[in-house]
Parts: sequence; structure tokens; C-alpha cells
Amino acid sequence: MKREFVVLGMVICIGLGFGVGWFIPGLFAPTEGPSLLERIESRGYFLVGTSADYPPFENKTYPGAQIVGFDINISLLIANEIGVSLQMVDMDFDALIGACRAGQIDMIAAAMTYDPTRADELAASITYFTVTQIVVVRNDSVDFLDPITSLDNLTTFDVGCQSGTVMQTELEAIAGINVFPYARADLMMQDVVNGILDAVYIDGPILDASPDKEDLKIIYSSDEEPLALWTQLNEPELLYEINDAIFKAYQSGVYAELVNFWFGNVTT
Amino acid sequence: MMSETKKFLKSFLYLIAGIIISLIALFILFPKLYEIASYITIHGLLATLLLTALGLISGFALGITLALMRIYGATELRWLASGYEKLLRGIPILVLIYIFLYGTPGLFFYIDLRYRPIAGVVLALGLRSAAYQSQIFRGAILSVSSGQIEAARALGMTGSQSFRHIVMPQALRLALPAWTNEYAVVIKDSSFAYGVGIVEMTKAGYDFGVAFRELWAVSLGVVTILYFIFTFPITRLFGEYQNKKLKKLGMGGGS
Repeated sequence: MKREFVVLGMVICIGLGFGVGWFIPGLFAPTEGPSLLERIESRGYFLVGTSADYPPFENKTYPGAQIVGFDINISLLIANEIGVSLQMVDMDFDALIGACRAGQIDMIAAAMTYDPTRADELAASITYFTVTQIVVVRNDSVDFLDPITSLDNLTTFDVGCQSGTVMQTELEAIAGINVFPYARADLMMQDVVNGILDAVYIDGPILDASPDKEDLKIIYSSDEEPLALWTQLNEPELLYEINDAIFKAYQSGVYAELVNFWFGNVTT
Repeated sequence: MMSETKKFLKSFLYLIAGIIISLIALFILFPKLYEIASYITIHGLLATLLLTALGLISGFALGITLALMRIYGATELRWLASGYEKLLRGIPILVLIYIFLYGTPGLFFYIDLRYRPIAGVVLALGLRSAAYQSQIFRGAILSVSSGQIEAARALGMTGSQSFRHIVMPQALRLALPAWTNEYAVVIKDSSFAYGVGIVEMTKAGYDFGVAFRELWAVSLGVVTILYFIFTFPITRLFGEYQNKKLKKLGMGGGS
């Protein structure tokens, strides 16, 4: 009899202690900790997350396994602005938002388009590039002889897109389209060339990077979508530094040089 | 009759030699495979082995503790250990990794930000492995025949002395085959680390597949071969071979 009471008492005390330890310190915590920018400066390096399978924005060299690309150069400008070194982290595109929100990475530089739902979770920088989103089919496709006017024309077809992107959200919002999200863009492009998919809804650069672009044609292109760099919410000092670095790049001509280097002669 | 150690070493050497020769033949016939394998090894092998080793060791420490709690502990400790096992066996490893790295962001506040993913993955691997290892060691300790313990007591050893000198060495030997199985599981689970930004063998193979899109399937095949090289000899030698030996000695059973 006594033993049960002891055990019950222990369990209650553990629960109480856990509750006290969880909630009480929150009441005493200082509301002003060091800001993310100060923490980055004291750390000495700026940790940027990306998904290195999207040339020319980010790519891994072979055999050196260095991460290079347009986004990396932009991140380097920001790191120099803050006065620290740059460290790139390569992970799944879908995991980037969770990692940034948890503070595991300081910024996302992965050609992420600006999207209102993303803006609820993370803070966006100013636009640093734009891409068009296009629907691409095979040249000899009989279903799509003429360009289409809107995405609703894609109902009843098998349409591929990259997982975790705004294109997936847009396609899934329209009833009747068979959406196939792919983690890898090159497999998706292979599938549309081989006829497994009827169409794909992608960013412009993916078509440019595809080895089979001669066999494909564009039947729809959306307006230019802005790309932004993303960091944690409520960190105005860091966001200021990021935007400042981008502004200075525009003004000094470094931005135009980078665009020329990575995209050839593209007007943006 | 050769001594047991010599026989063991001989079969070990034969196995390793067989693998090396078949690998050399494979890489001579297909030099591209050698290039892929060396890229993956250079960039991923160290991380894989590090994560596996740390995960296994922490799992071992916690697993032995839980096993002892379950066998010799008071009822409440038994509940704790049994509850821990039931809980951890039901959670997928990727979910565990996400919980420790993204769900509880302040957990590794004392570790440099760059190395937190490693800490999170090691913690997740260790906790999960501990749940399975506690089962292994519990089974091993219980299958040491009670005649041994009676004989130890008859000689005047106390409980803990008989455990340290008689039961534990035999239990560890009985546990070895199942433990190599656990090693094979942990080394393959370490590939989940690529989801949080650590470059290990699977990610290195994936990166090669991204750089050379036509060879993507081949790079996956090479990753498979590499994992095979690191699991097959160990599970074969310390697993099945040990089982046969144990049967000959009349100890324990298959696992």
C-alpha cells in the first residue's frame, strides 16, 4: 500500500518539477537577448542554407564538392557586409524553411520565390532576382498544339512540378489536375521528355539547364516571380544588413556583373 | 586442429581478400565506378563512420543501463525501461532527428551552430539504438544458464561479483551476433543525416548524380556497394560465424 503512494507521489512531483522548470524561467527571461546579427558577429561566420542541385543558382562542383552559384555570390556579399565569413549548408529544399525557423541556419539563399504563406513564417529580403514560371510540354505533344491561356487548361492532364514550391501550391489549388511533385528537377524533365508526364510547371532556369530543351516547348509563361532571401522573423538588424548589401550591389555594378557571369546576357 | 583464433583470422582474411579481389576486378572493368566510389569515399565516408560510431557507443551505454534496469531493477525502474523501449521503437528515426534539431531549437545551445546537426543526429541514433540494444543485452544476460550463477554463489561470490566476472563476459559474447545486426542498422540509418545538411555517403552519391545526371542510377549502385562492403564482412564474421561457434560450445542459440 505504502509503495503505491510513494510512486504516485514521485510521479506527481516529477510532473510538477517539469512544469515549473518549463514555465517559470519564461517569466524571468530577459525580453532583449542578443539579436541574431550580434550573435552572427560574435560567432564569426554566417550560416546560409541552400539546396545545391539548382544551377546556375546553386550547384556543387566536381570533384571538389564546393557549393557555387549566383546565390552563393550574393550571400558572400552579405557576409562581407556584416564582416564575417560565409558557411554554406546543403540540405533538402523542403527542409530549409523548418531549419531557418528553428535557427539552425541564419538565412535561406535557394532561389525561393516570394510567397505570402512563406512570408508568414520567415522574413523576406528585397527582391534580388526574378524568374518566370512556365508550363513546358514536348514539341510533338498533340494535347497542346497552341499556347494555353491559364493553368485551368491543364485539368485532366498529368502535370509535374518541384515539391515544396509555389508551383505545386498553384497546381493543387485547381481541381482536376493530376499533380506529381518531384524532389529532383532533372528526373521530372526526363519524365516529360519520355512522355510519362503530359506537362511540367517549372521555373525558367530549369528549362535552360535541361539537356533536352530542343525537344520541349513553352505553352504558358506567368508573370515574373520575385526571388527573395529569407531569414527569421523579428530580426530587423539582420534584414537591414541583407537589404543594404543587395542595394550596394545594385549601385556599384557588382550585381550586373554577377548576373552576366551566371546567366549570360539576361535583362532583369 | 588449428586454434580457434587462427581459424577465425583465416576466414576473416579470406573474406576480405575475396571482397578486395572482386572490387579490383569491378573497378578495372568499369573505371568510371572507381571514380564514383573514390568521390563518395572522400567526401562522405568519414561522416558516416563518425555518426555510426558515436550513435552505437551512446546506444551501447544507454542500452546496457536499460537492460540492467529491466533485469535487476525495482518494479518502477522496470516500468521506466520498458516504457522507454516501447516509446523509442515506435518513432521513425527521421522524426526523431527533426524533433531534436528543429522541434527543440535550444537543445544544443552550448554547441557551435555548425556542429549541431551532428549532435542532433547522434542523439537521435543513440536513443533509438539504445532501445534495441537493451533488448539484445537483456536477452543475452538472461540466456546465461543459471547453473553458472549457482556455481558462482556456491563459490562464495556476491551477486555483483558473479555478475561482473561470470555473467557479463558470457552475455557480451552471446550478444555479439545481434549487436552486429544493430551496427548494420545504425550505419544505414546514418544516411538520414543528409536531410539536415550533413554530407555523408548517401548525400555524396546524390551529389555525384546531380553533377552527372546520366550516371545517377550508377552512383546509387556504387553507394549500395559501399554500404555492403561496410556491413557484410562484419555481420558475416562476427554474426553468423560466432553463432556457429556458440552452438558448438553449447551456449546460447541463434539470433
